[in-house]
Amino acid sequence: MSGGQVLAGLVLPEAIMHTQWFAVLSTFVAVNTVLYLTLAIIKILPKAYLSDWIDQRNRRSETRSIYPEPDGGPPA
Amino acid sequence: MGNLRSASERPMGVSVSRIPATPIATEFDTTTPSDVEDVPAAGRRLASRWLGRYVGLVIASITVAGSVLLWAVVSAYSPSVDQAAQSTTLFGRWHVAYDLQAPALTIALGAVGLGLLLAAGVAAVERLVLDSSRRSTDARAKLLAPKLVMAETRGVFGGPVSVTVIIPAHNEAGSIGATLDSLRAQEPAPERVIVIADNCTDTTEAIAREHGAEVFVTVDNTKKKAGALNQALRGLLDGLGDNDVVMCMDADTNLDDGFLAAGIQRFTSDRALMAIGGLFYGEEGHGLLGQLQRNEYVRYSREIKRRRGRVFVLTGTASMFRSRALRTVAESRGSLLPGINGDVYDTAALTEDNELTLAIKSLGGLMASPDGCRVVTELMPTWRNLWTQRLRWQRGALENLGAYGPPPAMLRYWAQQLGIGYSVIALSSFWLLILVTALATDGWVWFPFWLGVGSVFIVDRVVSAWRGGWRARLLAALMVPELIYDMYLDVVYVKGIFDITFARRATWGHVAHATARAPATTTDQMEAMS
Repeated sequence: MSGGQVLAGLVLPEAIMHTQWFAVLSTFVAVNTVLYLTLAIIKILPKAYLSDWIDQRNRRSETRSIYPEPDGGPPA
Repeated sequence: MGNLRSASERPMGVSVSRIPATPIATEFDTTTPSDVEDVPAAGRRLASRWLGRYVGLVIASITVAGSVLLWAVVSAYSPSVDQAAQSTTLFGRWHVAYDLQAPALTIALGAVGLGLLLAAGVAAVERLVLDSSRRSTDARAKLLAPKLVMAETRGVFGGPVSVTVIIPAHNEAGSIGATLDSLRAQEPAPERVIVIADNCTDTTEAIAREHGAEVFVTVDNTKKKAGALNQALRGLLDGLGDNDVVMCMDADTNLDDGFLAAGIQRFTSDRALMAIGGLFYGEEGHGLLGQLQRNEYVRYSREIKRRRGRVFVLTGTASMFRSRALRTVAESRGSLLPGINGDVYDTAALTEDNELTLAIKSLGGLMASPDGCRVVTELMPTWRNLWTQRLRWQRGALENLGAYGPPPAMLRYWAQQLGIGYSVIALSSFWLLILVTALATDGWVWFPFWLGVGSVFIVDRVVSAWRGGWRARLLAALMVPELIYDMYLDVVYVKGIFDITFARRATWGHVAHATARAPATTTDQMEAMS
C-alpha cells in the first residue's frame, strides 16, 4: 500500500475481488492496519507520563545516593 | 549482545523492537543441589521444562487464536462485496481509476480502540510490575528489590564507585589492543581492566599485557563465553564492595566518550541501581543491509529513550553491574533462578546476556540504559549472517521465556513475543491482499484509504529513524525495503518457533572480518570455536 496503487494484472480473474472471502480478507487487513496505525501515531507523538503532571516534590523520603545523609537518614 | 527489539507492535511500518532477546538455557539445572530448594521451585522447574519445549507453540497458538477471533468478528460484520472501482478525470487530462474501499466506521473505530487498549494494557502492566518490584520487601524472592537494598546500605558509605572492566577474549589479537586503548581514553578511566584469555592460541594475552591490562587465563573452560566469565568472576566478586561495579564488554567494542562517566554518575546517585546496559548503535558500512540494521538500532534507542531508560536487555557488548547484583544472581541459581549455583552466567544459555537481564529483573533489581552510555555494535554483512544471528536471538528469547515462565516480571517479554507473532500474521495477510489485488486488477487503481494510511506509516518510520541521519530517513521514507526487511525477520521468527518446537539445535555463525578492527562478537567466536 505504500503508493496506494496497484499494478495491473490479469493472472487472477477480476471477479475474485468481489467474493466474500476477499472482502473479509480486505477488512481483516484494514482492521490490522488501523490498529497498527494507532500504535504508529502513539509512537510519533511525544510520550506523556502521568507522573510528570503530579507534583512529586519530596516524594523520596531519603537520599538514594551512595553518600549517606549528614544526619544518617531516617531509621531503617 | 541480546536481541534488538522489544516492542509489541509493528507491521506495515511501525517499528518493532526485537532487539532485546538473547538465548538462554532451556531448563533449570537439575543436577545441582541447593540449600534453598523448596517445593515451589521444584514445581516451577517442572513447568519450565515443559514450557522450554513448547513455549513456541504456546505463543503461536495464542497469536493464531487472536487472528481467528478477529477474522470471525470481521466475517460477522460481513462487508459489502459489490464495491467497484470508479473513475474520474483530473484537470481534464488524466483519467484516474480509484476505489473508495475503506473499513466501516464502526470497524475502524473498533480497531483504533483495540490499538489504544493494547498499548495502554502493556504499558499499565509493565508499570504495575515495576512499581511492585520497587515496593517489594519480599526478602525470599526479590533479593535485589530497591527497598531491601536501600535498607541494607542505609547510612553505610562503601566508598566511591569504582569500575572493574572484564573482557572475555578468544583469539582477539586483532582487536584487543584498540579496545584497551579506547578504554584508557575514557574519562575517568576504569580502576582495573582484566582481559579473560579463553583458550587463546594467538597473541591476545601478550598484547593485553603490553597495553597495561591484567590477564586472567581460563582453565579447562568448555562453556564458551559464559564459562570464561564465570571463572573470572568467581575470584573477583569476593573482593568487591557495594559500590564496586563490574563492567562486562566484548573484546572488539568501542565505548562512546563519556560512557563510564555517565554510568558512574548513575551508580553514585542511586545505590539501588543494579545494572546499566549500553545503548547500542550500528557501525558504519555494509550497504543497504547495514542501513536497514542501523535504522533498527536507531529505533530501538529511541524507544529506550522514550521509556526513560527502562531497559529491555543488558547487552553483552557493554554493560555495568553493581557487584551485589552479580553475587546475588550467583547465589540464587539452582533455586530462584535457572543454572548452576555459584555461576553468575548461566552456561546453558545461548545468549547469556539476555538471560542475566531476566535474572536480575526477576530478582527485582533496578536497571537502566542512560542516554550517555552508548556503544557501537557490529552489523551483519550478509543476509545469511543476519539470518544466523537473528535465529540465535529469537531462539534464545523463546528459551528464556521457557526457563523463566509466566511470572509478572516476565510479562513484558511475553507481550513482545506475542506482538511479533501477531505481526507476522498481520504482515503476511497484508502481502497476500496486495498480491491478489495486483494479480486480479486490470489497470492502475488508486485507493485513497490506503494512500492515507501509508502516508502516516511513512511519517512514523521517518520520525522514528530521524536520529540516524539523512540516509536513515530516506530509507525509511521508501518504506518498501523496510517492509521486506521486516518480512525477512518474520520468517526468522517463524523458523525459531519451528526449531524450538521440534528441538532442533541452534547453530551459530561467525562473521569473519577482513580488517583487524572490525567487530565480531566474542560470543560468536567462542561459539564458533566450540
